[in-house]
Amino acid sequence: MRTRYFLYIAILIILLTLPLYTGVYLLNVMDIILIYIALALSWDMLLRSGQISFGVAGLFGVGGYAAVLLNLNTGMNSLICIVLGGLAAGILSWLVGIAVLQLRGMYFAIVTLALAEIFRVIIRNLPDLTGGPEGTILPSAIFAGNSTKTYWLAIAVAVVSVLASEIFVRTRIHFALTSIRNDEIVAKSSGIDVFKYLVFIFVITSAIQGMTGGAYAHIYGFVSPEGSFSIDFTLLPIAMALLGGMHSTWGPVVGAVVLGVVSEFLKLQIPYGHLLVYGVIIVITILFFPQGIVGTLGQRFKKSDIS
Amino acid sequence: LRPQACIRAIMKISGKLKQRNYQIAVISVFLGLILASWKPNVLIEGIQRACLYAVIALPMALILGIVGIINLAHGEYMMLGAYFAYLLNVYTGLDPLVAIFPALFAFFIIGMVSYKAVIKYVLGAPELNQLLLTFGLAMVIEQLANLVWTSRPIKLPLQYVSASATIGTFTFGTYEFIYIGAAIIVLVGLQLFLKRTSTGQAALAVGQNPRGAKLVGIHVDRIYLLIFSLSIALVGAIGAIFMTRHSIFPLVGAPFTMKSFCLIAMAGIGNLMGILWCSLILGLAENFVLSFRGYAGWADILFFALIVLVIMVRSHQRQVK
Repeated sequence: MRTRYFLYIAILIILLTLPLYTGVYLLNVMDIILIYIALALSWDMLLRSGQISFGVAGLFGVGGYAAVLLNLNTGMNSLICIVLGGLAAGILSWLVGIAVLQLRGMYFAIVTLALAEIFRVIIRNLPDLTGGPEGTILPSAIFAGNSTKTYWLAIAVAVVSVLASEIFVRTRIHFALTSIRNDEIVAKSSGIDVFKYLVFIFVITSAIQGMTGGAYAHIYGFVSPEGSFSIDFTLLPIAMALLGGMHSTWGPVVGAVVLGVVSEFLKLQIPYGHLLVYGVIIVITILFFPQGIVGTLGQRFKKSDIS
Repeated sequence: LRPQACIRAIMKISGKLKQRNYQIAVISVFLGLILASWKPNVLIEGIQRACLYAVIALPMALILGIVGIINLAHGEYMMLGAYFAYLLNVYTGLDPLVAIFPALFAFFIIGMVSYKAVIKYVLGAPELNQLLLTFGLAMVIEQLANLVWTSRPIKLPLQYVSASATIGTFTFGTYEFIYIGAAIIVLVGLQLFLKRTSTGQAALAVGQNPRGAKLVGIHVDRIYLLIFSLSIALVGAIGAIFMTRHSIFPLVGAPFTMKSFCLIAMAGIGNLMGILWCSLILGLAENFVLSFRGYAGWADILFFALIVLVIMVRSHQRQVK
């Protein structure tokens, strides 16, 4: 067990000191990968309760807008604004969740799919506050565009989501959510307050998504209805979490790293159709190995242990 | 004798008024009259728009009710149908309204292929996998269209779509009444198919209980294949009608998927007639908001407000019971 922690710390140190050995391009790629790690993990965390969300882009965009507008209008420190952006997404999802989490399964999924669209429409229709369809530009990106510091910010975001996921796996919340996923009636009759736990996990994951959105918006210094609520931010995390393996911490991380590297390559090869590949990956993963890379490999290893 | 008959008739009508359905009918007729005298455009265009929604939602409801899968790629098939009609027009000069028939045929086959290649394998899978799969399918179709035809909006220059009629000072488009016709044809056709033919009755039985249907000797898999292909064929043909009036682009179908689902959820799964009424509410409400200058952008979120309202009412009813 202890060697494992040493391994984590070693990985973290290598990640933190990466700017010493590499150039700006690789750091930018790493930024994207780390952002997507946070999104994929937060999506997966909600999935562990059996509820599937297609609204990642919505909360991502709301967090981004909140962080940028707070910074512009109050002049607060960008880092505080990013945290507050997460908070705003959390509060919003709490209000929405009270109504929407009466729903289960496909009803919940579609309503979250609609949510992303709703937030976009609302923001586009408030031009005085949000800049309308053109979006809003920050005077400068965070840390004046220093790529090493923005990289550390992206690491912080990813580490927060990994820590949140690990804490959830190790506490009783995990058991509550897993039993809700397996059978809600059984969960209810063993004394779990299903609605309370669902709202709780929905708010936490939304806050992580909002914070990630805030970080992303500040790294690029720009928010727009089409850019911040782009379907990329729903589609990619789902494809990553599925490919890596659902219901675990390391599955989405592995998926995000693999697909993040692949996507950089794809963007150069087919600039307008790279989203197609993610759709294909989702379909193929569901059809052929629904447990993802980590799940499938884990089973292999277990089998070989027994034999 | 006559006054007595009159009184009896009045008693009968007032007795029926106590029933909830008749109350709703009377109130909606009343509201419709108010709307017609205040904003006649909203009424006419709202009904036309409502029928467009209904005709797109009906095939989706069919799949959901009988195959039991929520097809998130529904709007994308409609978009494909629209492009199909467009390409036929460009290469052979065929009118899009005539292209309905080849579209029906072509999309029946596309539906069969989709079912055999993909959908079949998740029928027994958890609901989450089905949702993710159809979501992935939607993305594949959408992005493929984006890659092939680019995101540039396309519109055919057709003369007859701008036909209009004038009553007094009030002018409205008459071409859009085609949606009302299409909705009635699809609804009546589906009802006749499901109630009067043995295949349709078998499909209903499968929708109610697949295992029971299998026990009495119905080919469940064949019914699934038929219903899925039929629905895709219908929605592809609707795409051909849709593209005559609207400009099309790869993302055009996505909002219709969500609105269709909203209508199905409002009506309740398996209630085809209810979809028509719910789409009337949605279409009229949207056009009502659209008619106020400066607030038109908000019409797009009405369906969401409606679905949340319905959910709240439903869950409240459940708690009361």
